[in-house]
Amino acid sequence: MAHDEKLVKGLEKKADQIRRDCFDIFGSTQMGHAGGTMSIIELITALYFHHMKFDPNNVDWPERDRLVLSKAHCCEAIYAALVELGVYPRKTLGTYYCFGSPFQGHADRWCTPGIDYSGGSLGQGLSFAVGMALAEKMKSVVKDINVGQGGFLQRYVVRFDPLYRSFCILGDGECHEGMVWEAAMFAAKYKLDNLIAIIDYNKFSLDGPTNEIMNVEPLAEKWKSFGWWVTEIDGHDIRQILDALELANKLYGDYRPKCIIAHTIKGHGIPAWEREHIHLGRGDVIVRGIKEGREKYGEV
Amino acid sequence: MAKFNKYVQIENKPSMVPVGLEKAITAAAARDARIIAVLEDMGFPGMLWFKQHCPDRMIECGIAEQNAAVMAAGLAAEGFIPIINSFLFADIGRAYNQIRQSILVDRFNVKFIGREGAWGEPGISHNTVEGIGSTRVLPNLIILNPADAVEAEKAAEAMLQYVGPVLLRQESSPPPVKIFADNLPFDIGRAFSLKDGRDATIIATGYMLTEAVSALDILEKDGLDVGLLDMCTLKPLDDEVIVKVAAKTGAIVTVENGTVIGGLGDGVAAVLAENLPTPMVKIGIEDEFSQSGKMSPKDELKEHFGLRPEDIAVSVKECIAKKVKLNKKRK
Repeated sequence: MAHDEKLVKGLEKKADQIRRDCFDIFGSTQMGHAGGTMSIIELITALYFHHMKFDPNNVDWPERDRLVLSKAHCCEAIYAALVELGVYPRKTLGTYYCFGSPFQGHADRWCTPGIDYSGGSLGQGLSFAVGMALAEKMKSVVKDINVGQGGFLQRYVVRFDPLYRSFCILGDGECHEGMVWEAAMFAAKYKLDNLIAIIDYNKFSLDGPTNEIMNVEPLAEKWKSFGWWVTEIDGHDIRQILDALELANKLYGDYRPKCIIAHTIKGHGIPAWEREHIHLGRGDVIVRGIKEGREKYGEV
Repeated sequence: MAKFNKYVQIENKPSMVPVGLEKAITAAAARDARIIAVLEDMGFPGMLWFKQHCPDRMIECGIAEQNAAVMAAGLAAEGFIPIINSFLFADIGRAYNQIRQSILVDRFNVKFIGREGAWGEPGISHNTVEGIGSTRVLPNLIILNPADAVEAEKAAEAMLQYVGPVLLRQESSPPPVKIFADNLPFDIGRAFSLKDGRDATIIATGYMLTEAVSALDILEKDGLDVGLLDMCTLKPLDDEVIVKVAAKTGAIVTVENGTVIGGLGDGVAAVLAENLPTPMVKIGIEDEFSQSGKMSPKDELKEHFGLRPEDIAVSVKECIAKKVKLNKKRK
């Protein structure tokens, strides 16, 4: 699909701004989940600044698209996006990790309006997104007065667009969790075509290469065999991200949950972090990375 | 027979907790379309019976408790009121971290019914005893443990009215006794006094209330005036009433169908230790696992664990002796 060059350039610029905000967040504590955050910058940018229904002035809007960040340790990217959208003032960036701050160490729905899921214990987000997607189906049925008899599955209403979509960003290491696959089975059973899982496949976990720790391959085939629609993209290419998301939207009504496997690089764009496949960085490595990042992505 | 509160109407007829639950949940579901059942392949002891009333509000997750718990949280986040009914070791134990992280942190309106208890035929895997202790430590969770069908109905009504996560502990193998009158008043967090006493007070929860009622008869024959308190809400505990009965009788015996570590007994002991140190005896399962046991002609496990009325009566006397000894020392 051809995209408006202006849109793509604009989103790329926005992604750089999100990166700079993340440097501010990391800089305030000299600590952070730098690797996983850098690998989802483009995904978060495309979702928040173009694709998702999201109203910065009404973050509880019932028809907003839901975003469940299952790898909730990478919430820095969402915090930066929320600041860019004007939900939180810029000075909040400096309060990351602080007591009473809306920017907690892991994403927290209760403390941070605008965030849909409190995560941190890995593997659970997909089930939560599945619950939200199922709720959308059930709400739509209740609304429809011409319902026939039988279970609500037989009464799915054919519409051009769901009330809202549920997006879920999973890490690749997270796919080691058994309950991810419980949720995958469940989503296929209940035909949740309003659910879009995005896997940040950055190939590295805390102890080393993800597939050496526990092989998740063949990943695409796995999701396909669970009854999902699957596509693989370069998770740092805005054009491919937009294509995949639009296609997933257009396929609504095919009764299949959608899975986008985004191939990414841990610590993307920052040599110090890419080299070490950094997970949770502290002190020197963070400072070096921020310096490199500010030089590379600094405002022109 | 001991003289009880007007809301107590003891009859020797089956009054099972599930019957009360079904009544309350069916009535509430007819009024409120948000109530849905999340099933974990538990058959009729689970919530398969809900199909007769609301077939289109059944979400079957299969034997996958972790997904069921978090999926229910997602439904609750969108305004539904999911009820999960399974063995406590499965719906809570198997999904402990999921419940903590995805439900309790955000206080999502998910209701759990967890079956457990020390006795029954299934054996060590199903006769679990750690449910109260392992859940009392969780913030934002209300824990109820009704004693018969009437109290179960009231508790389930209150559970569905309350906005937030609730665990209703349903004990296995009910005794064939109805305790409460149909107009029993019920509030979450309020203990119910069946009888005031002078010499000691028994604080019981769940089906152990039935055993405690029988114990009162034995004690009365021995000339002792013993009070009985029903602690249906295990969290938050009714501190005020506990301290009040301790001040009045000076001897407290707690009775529960579960481990004495971290359970009702420890909760009461903590309240008293901080407010009014009082001689106590905790009756329950002493730090061990249960096993299979026949219920009739005699209840083998109840005998093994010392949870029969005569055992309770002995413990009450032991507690009164402690009190007398302490009073002498103080003089």
